[in-house]
Amino acid sequence: MENIIGLITYGRGDFGVLAAHRPAYMLPFGCRYRLIDFALSTFSNNDIDNVALYAGSMLRSTIDHIGNGKPWDLNRRFGGLSIFPEVYSSKYNRSDELVNIYESLGFYESAVEEQIFFMDPMTITKIDVREVYRQHLTEDADMTLIYKTVDDKEGRYLNYDKMTLNDDGTVKNIGVNLGTQDVFNLYLGMGFIKKSVFLDLIKNALENDDSYSLKGAMLKEKGRYKIRTFGYNGRVAVIRDVNSYVDANMSLLDRDGFNEMFHVNGTILTKSKDEPSTIYHKNARVEHSLLANGCIIDGTITGSIIFRGVEIGKNAIIKNSIIMEGAIIEDDAVIINCVIDKGTIVKEGVSLVGSPTNPYTIGKKQVIKR
Amino acid sequence: MKTGKTVAMLLAGGQGSRLKALTRKVAKPAVPFGGKYRIIDFAVSNCANSNIRDLGILTQYKPLLLNEHLGIGAAWDYDKNKGGLRVLSPFTGEEGGRWFTGTANAIFENIDFLDEVNPEYVLILSGDHIYKMNYDHMLDYHREKGADCTIAVIEVEWEDASRFGILNTDENDQVVEFDEKPAEPKNNLASMGIYMFTWKELREALYKDEKNPDSDNDFGKNVLPMMLDDGKKMFAYRFSGYWKDVGTVRSYWESNMDLLDPNNTLQIYDDHWRIYTKSKNLPPQYLAEGSTVRHSMVNEGCVISGTVENSILFSSVIVEEGAVVKNSIILSDCVIKSGAKLNRAITLEGLVVDGTTEIGQDEDDDCVYLMHEDGVTKE
Repeated sequence: MENIIGLITYGRGDFGVLAAHRPAYMLPFGCRYRLIDFALSTFSNNDIDNVALYAGSMLRSTIDHIGNGKPWDLNRRFGGLSIFPEVYSSKYNRSDELVNIYESLGFYESAVEEQIFFMDPMTITKIDVREVYRQHLTEDADMTLIYKTVDDKEGRYLNYDKMTLNDDGTVKNIGVNLGTQDVFNLYLGMGFIKKSVFLDLIKNALENDDSYSLKGAMLKEKGRYKIRTFGYNGRVAVIRDVNSYVDANMSLLDRDGFNEMFHVNGTILTKSKDEPSTIYHKNARVEHSLLANGCIIDGTITGSIIFRGVEIGKNAIIKNSIIMEGAIIEDDAVIINCVIDKGTIVKEGVSLVGSPTNPYTIGKKQVIKR
Repeated sequence: MKTGKTVAMLLAGGQGSRLKALTRKVAKPAVPFGGKYRIIDFAVSNCANSNIRDLGILTQYKPLLLNEHLGIGAAWDYDKNKGGLRVLSPFTGEEGGRWFTGTANAIFENIDFLDEVNPEYVLILSGDHIYKMNYDHMLDYHREKGADCTIAVIEVEWEDASRFGILNTDENDQVVEFDEKPAEPKNNLASMGIYMFTWKELREALYKDEKNPDSDNDFGKNVLPMMLDDGKKMFAYRFSGYWKDVGTVRSYWESNMDLLDPNNTLQIYDDHWRIYTKSKNLPPQYLAEGSTVRHSMVNEGCVISGTVENSILFSSVIVEEGAVVKNSIILSDCVIKSGAKLNRAITLEGLVVDGTTEIGQDEDDDCVYLMHEDGVTKE
């Protein structure tokens, strides 16, 4: 797959306190990962090793986590990972995805690769990139955009990207899902684009001042280009808010979901923290849960996702919750339907209860007392 | 480390034959320990945490896995431009090839390496002990005493002293006599096999020892007593933390089990002195509905549906529904099938334990059972 550049687009979503100190793509996920690990691992597992990341602002956690890209073998002398922080320039009087891509156009122009595979970091999937690439080449498409047909009676995908197809399988348009149809095609924010087409699109869009994102630029002149589609059938989560974030985490508690996310089409790589194994003390009662390493557990845990280095005190009860790295839940505390961010301490005997449809989120490094 | 360059030389070539099937394919330092480590990780991490920039690792017995594990030392940040980790294996010269004949000979054979690094001090370590130690403090002590050689010692119970190499010392902890496994010990300071030498002195001693045809070229047996006879200043450096030589299958089992004690002085969860190892980047551990996991250590990649008590599970172990694992050490990639009952077992890597297996179910016996592909060895 040496002819492909990897591009990670802007990740967007509304996550309240959880994204107060980090970009959305840096949200912790699945006990020991960050959302971005899925995009980076997808590239790594498919030998795509010239990668551009539009990192946005608030880069402390990004730099700390990704560094030179070593966990994904992206610390290359040739190619490797390029991180583009947000550009502010009075030239444009704006700083959107399009301007940021334009400012880094030299990266694409100097690259030898002729195709670009772009991914929305908020899309969590283990798609087989090779299969899409084969179709993209066979059909000699200018772009191949990936969608999944979903049945959404519950309205989980309201305001997500809805793709409408022409009869010949080309893209008619991508708009906003207002829930008028239960079954629709959810655009996954990923696909292939020829580099020459990409360069034209970005320049045109900036000259005409008529779009602000890669998606906008791609669709603006759809008459001029051959835009094909690829329908994906596998598991996928598109994370745009706290509920979809919690759902995506909890879907890992399903054995099939767990296997598909972690054992099909390569493993997910992340920065190693060198924690010792997790220790379960005498009072531990843990079922139907996922735990990372480095935890010290002496309480009861069910239906929960426990990140690295979490401490759960004696007789504490954790149910249907996400407890992030380094959080400490002291003795006798009760946590139900909560998302507790990194390093937060819940003191002895405190009860925190959210509702299943509206989880209670607590930001980083808080101390919750009685 | 401060001024005065120190090179650590880690002896990792030993077979450890008393560990039986555990060392059938790997050298003792490469034997898995504590849920995710290999024994050598403790010494290498101690070096990294003590800011020793140059580390030579001497291998000999079945080094394949050890080499793979160490790589270029990236896990310990030893992949450096200046200094770093070098694996030193036996080699051939003009007069043919030689194996390392003893601990001191292994260092002697690599004098070219040491001359090139040109250190002020050389720290000799053994790759088969479990402990956390700041070698920088030992160097401070060595310099403060103006010693030619400093030997780390640990106080052992008087009744155990006859099993160790004992150092007899004066009131300033200066060594006056070496007493190898004394029948009637005069002291209870046991050598930990950790020696800090002033390189100039060691170099001289190694040449002298090598010329002696009667010598076994061993530090404890030959070189140290010789230096003492030559009037060199040697001091004992007292260490008072957790230290264990994992010598036998039984002590291997016991020292692993020590980790389950919340008051264990090794303090493996203390992140100021972390033990590093090669990362496998595995998914989190999955505890299914109906699982029971208590008083146990479990590593990443495990999937547990059965019962695990008072045990240590390495990475990617599968414990099926209805399987019961108690007081056991399960190495990586084992599958414990539904119905199997293990007690006081050690299962070697990748073993599939059949559902009809029952091990250690007799309440009265306290043997440890080493399970390997050819069967079960009772210890």
